[in-house]
Amino acid sequence: MSTIVEKFRQYTKPGYYDKFDYHWTMTIDLDRCTGCEACVVACQAENNLPIVGEERFAQSREIKWIRIERYWEGEYPNIKMGFIPMLCQHCDDAPCETACPVYATYHNQDGLNTQIYNRCIGTRTCAVYCPYEVRFFNWFTYTWDEPLEQQLNPDVTVREKGVMEKCTFCIQRIRIAKDNAKDDGRRRVRDGEVVPACVQSCPTEALVFGNSNDPEAKVSKMMNNPRGYKVLEELNTTPSIVYLTKVHS
Amino acid sequence: MSKISRRDLLQYIGAGGIGAVGGVLYGKSVQRNVEFLIPQVIPPEDYSPGVASWYNTVCNQCSAGCGISVRIREGKATKIEGNPVHPVSQGRLCARGQAGLNVLYNPDRVRAPMQNAAQRGSGNYTEISWDEVLTTIASRIGRLRIDGNAGRVRLLTGRVRGHLDELFAQFMELLGSDHYQQYDFTYPAAIRAANRISFGVEQMPYYDIKHADYLLSFGADYLGTWLSPVHHSLAYGHLRQGRPGQRGKTVQIEPRMSLSGAAADEWIAAQPGTEGLLALGIAHALVNEGFYLGSDRDEWSNALQAYSPSRVSAETDVSEASIIRLAREFGESKSSLAIAGGATAAGTNAVASVVAVNALNYLAGNLGQRGGVIFNSAPAFSATAGSRQAGLQGMLELVEAMEAGDVEVLLVHDANPVYALPKNVRFRQAMENVPLVVALSSFLDETTAMADFILPTSTYLESWGDDVPDPGVGFPLASISQPVVATLYDTLPVGDIVLSLARQIGGELPIRMHWRTTEAFIKERWREEYAQRTAEQDEQDEQDEQDFEAFWQAALEAGVWGRPGDAAGEQAAPSSSSMIASIADPVSEFAGTENDYPFVLHPFLTATFLDGRGANLPWLQELPDPMTSVVYGSWAELNPVTADELGISEGDLLDIESTAGSVRVPALIFPAIRPGVVAMPIGQGHTGYGRYAKDRGVNPIHIVATLLDDQSGDLAWAATRVKIVRTGKRLRIIKTDGVSRTLGRQILGPKNDHS
Repeated sequence: MSTIVEKFRQYTKPGYYDKFDYHWTMTIDLDRCTGCEACVVACQAENNLPIVGEERFAQSREIKWIRIERYWEGEYPNIKMGFIPMLCQHCDDAPCETACPVYATYHNQDGLNTQIYNRCIGTRTCAVYCPYEVRFFNWFTYTWDEPLEQQLNPDVTVREKGVMEKCTFCIQRIRIAKDNAKDDGRRRVRDGEVVPACVQSCPTEALVFGNSNDPEAKVSKMMNNPRGYKVLEELNTTPSIVYLTKVHS
Repeated sequence: MSKISRRDLLQYIGAGGIGAVGGVLYGKSVQRNVEFLIPQVIPPEDYSPGVASWYNTVCNQCSAGCGISVRIREGKATKIEGNPVHPVSQGRLCARGQAGLNVLYNPDRVRAPMQNAAQRGSGNYTEISWDEVLTTIASRIGRLRIDGNAGRVRLLTGRVRGHLDELFAQFMELLGSDHYQQYDFTYPAAIRAANRISFGVEQMPYYDIKHADYLLSFGADYLGTWLSPVHHSLAYGHLRQGRPGQRGKTVQIEPRMSLSGAAADEWIAAQPGTEGLLALGIAHALVNEGFYLGSDRDEWSNALQAYSPSRVSAETDVSEASIIRLAREFGESKSSLAIAGGATAAGTNAVASVVAVNALNYLAGNLGQRGGVIFNSAPAFSATAGSRQAGLQGMLELVEAMEAGDVEVLLVHDANPVYALPKNVRFRQAMENVPLVVALSSFLDETTAMADFILPTSTYLESWGDDVPDPGVGFPLASISQPVVATLYDTLPVGDIVLSLARQIGGELPIRMHWRTTEAFIKERWREEYAQRTAEQDEQDEQDEQDFEAFWQAALEAGVWGRPGDAAGEQAAPSSSSMIASIADPVSEFAGTENDYPFVLHPFLTATFLDGRGANLPWLQELPDPMTSVVYGSWAELNPVTADELGISEGDLLDIESTAGSVRVPALIFPAIRPGVVAMPIGQGHTGYGRYAKDRGVNPIHIVATLLDDQSGDLAWAATRVKIVRTGKRLRIIKTDGVSRTLGRQILGPKNDHS
């Protein structure tokens, strides 16, 4: 009897995947980040984000899975600008997951917060619950001016009106890497084999991605940096993204 | 290039291993108007559904020359990333480079040759066949050649480099015209001129930011727009966090905070136009504090005597203590580096300012040092391309010639002077005097709209070419670009157009320029380069065709050819006496008096549009401006104090007036700009250039006064004063940012709470 209870506890404990699967994690070094937004365009290209147009921007209906937030500190002439890339934090205790009435958003065994477009009925509750404001609703079915549709990535679904969407940590790239590992007769993906588009493009190498279950992975080492912190940690969302603060000399 | 053995050649390029040349084959089947009854019965060699292939080529979105890899799926380009083996980009790429797909698949590309059907500039064009248009143009040029009037033919291009530049030059030379010019707004003419004075060689050295401990930047937005932003960003990451226990410091001197200013530890807004003077003040302190111990110490001390920190402080509005502290930090650092660019290199004192910054590097012993200024050897080929840059001086001469009726035929390729020159230059009006204007262009931009014929060029992702990155990376390097998809429309690579014209014009041209395609031309040139390099190796003098083919395939696969560690910079000869002789009061003059025009106009290049060429790309229009988060429009930045004094709030429509003209633009209150300065982004304000760019925002270049930096002949675009007239109207600025302060939420980390 006790074993069943133990098993139950183990399986309901957030992070239960610790033992047998991956835990995809990202670190973002704000001391390297320059706010150049290469990651923003990389994401747009990789994940078929729509071109929404000026009018939709004016209505705050833009869709950017990753964005750069800007914060001023001080006043002229002693003024500083702080950039921080903001994307889905893939929280282990994600508020959005408990909110969805149809389980369109759930936590998978790799520690990803995933969104199933086919299940989504567009209540938009998850976006309300998300403290990071990184969920985007398709109020319209966006189209591409011909022939811009030719640049769409065939590995990623083009979303339609009525569904919520968000960063997937480029799950299509994770799938391909796992497939390749399997074809090679390996059980595990090697460190550095999965690189989301934003991480790949980053010209200052501020973004690092990997499996934090592997203590030897680069990302695990970066996470232990004393500069590390998580955004809005006090809300107990347990994000999978660790930021490293900028050093002020 | 110095001696390289064949084994070494392959050593470097062999690291590539991605892609092959087959990409173009399948691409043919997605070309319009081609239908297969039973498609893919015999699939092209590299085609397997669902599997991506990557092809290496060169980015053409700015002049850095980053190597790129393009992902091709089922014959379509779906993503651009940096080429991991290319020493400039090292696998990384900026926003602009990645938006190259928007160039290729842009809905507003010119899809077939066009003939002007109505008045010039009306945009009314009808289609015409390639045969007809080429024959018409070739016969017009041919007649001029026979009559000995070939000098009345002029060719104007953007920044064309590599062997394509040689092709253009050869075409004009054989034709008998010495009027081949280039115009690129972002060309660092002043820096090159200053380097000729300081280092005895007119080139861009390699600024080794990566290994520097202390970077002092005078106006150069090295992370956003200056020279080679991707490469500098890689270096910056290393400078900050790449060396355990050692974090480099950066200082940025500029009137309006750029991306590099935001990244800097210290941002100093000196009085605009006095940045060069500030450099001399620091130099004075360097010598005085005993950081320079060269034999000509006394000469330097004398030359810098007039630039004591106290005097410099009064003119630059930077405190005396700060100047001395900067000098000490600069002198004490193991590897310090000073760079100049942006507005510092765009005043009437541009060359003198950059010389002053070069002097800092000299005095601190940074020349030729790791983490300092490393000289490049002469480029592998096309070393003279830079000298064709016209600058404002050259463009004024061209306008004069056009107005005088000395230009019969004007060929324009990849340059947009109607947009990127002040309105006062009257380039557009002068073009009306030219009987035949031919544009070789992919888009209907403002200059192309004035053409009688448009010869649509294939984009860089559909064309052959090669490139030598400028600035180089400290060792000899050449990149090769290949078509990664088949031509989408009825367009031709620009090289093919030139070769076709040469064939039809007659005379010596068809004999000397006998290549059928650009590909054949480029390959022959590379064969010659290869033969020349390998012949220098005595033991391997008999190279045969097979060797070259293997090399060529490997070069195509890797997209780049070169070897780290090869000697560089034999020709540079830093001249202390020449620098001392050129020390002059580097204070910029401004157009307009302080009384009538109380504000200094600070136009700045943006990381998205650069000099306006990116404005037709929807991904870039929808990319929030890095510093302000504005999308889809222009704005004028004002310091909160200035705005308060004038009673201006965000969105108030202002007329910004200079001696040269006026633009109407909404105000944006920007906390990191010097009071008394009005900053405006360059890039918007197109009257054509496709649906995403047209009629959006304003172009500050148009109200810049036509002042020259007299030493380089380039446009002093940061030397204009303006006044602000409130219109009483308002226009909403579209921004993506909400609250711009963290309000104690510790978003930037517990220790760095920006509250």
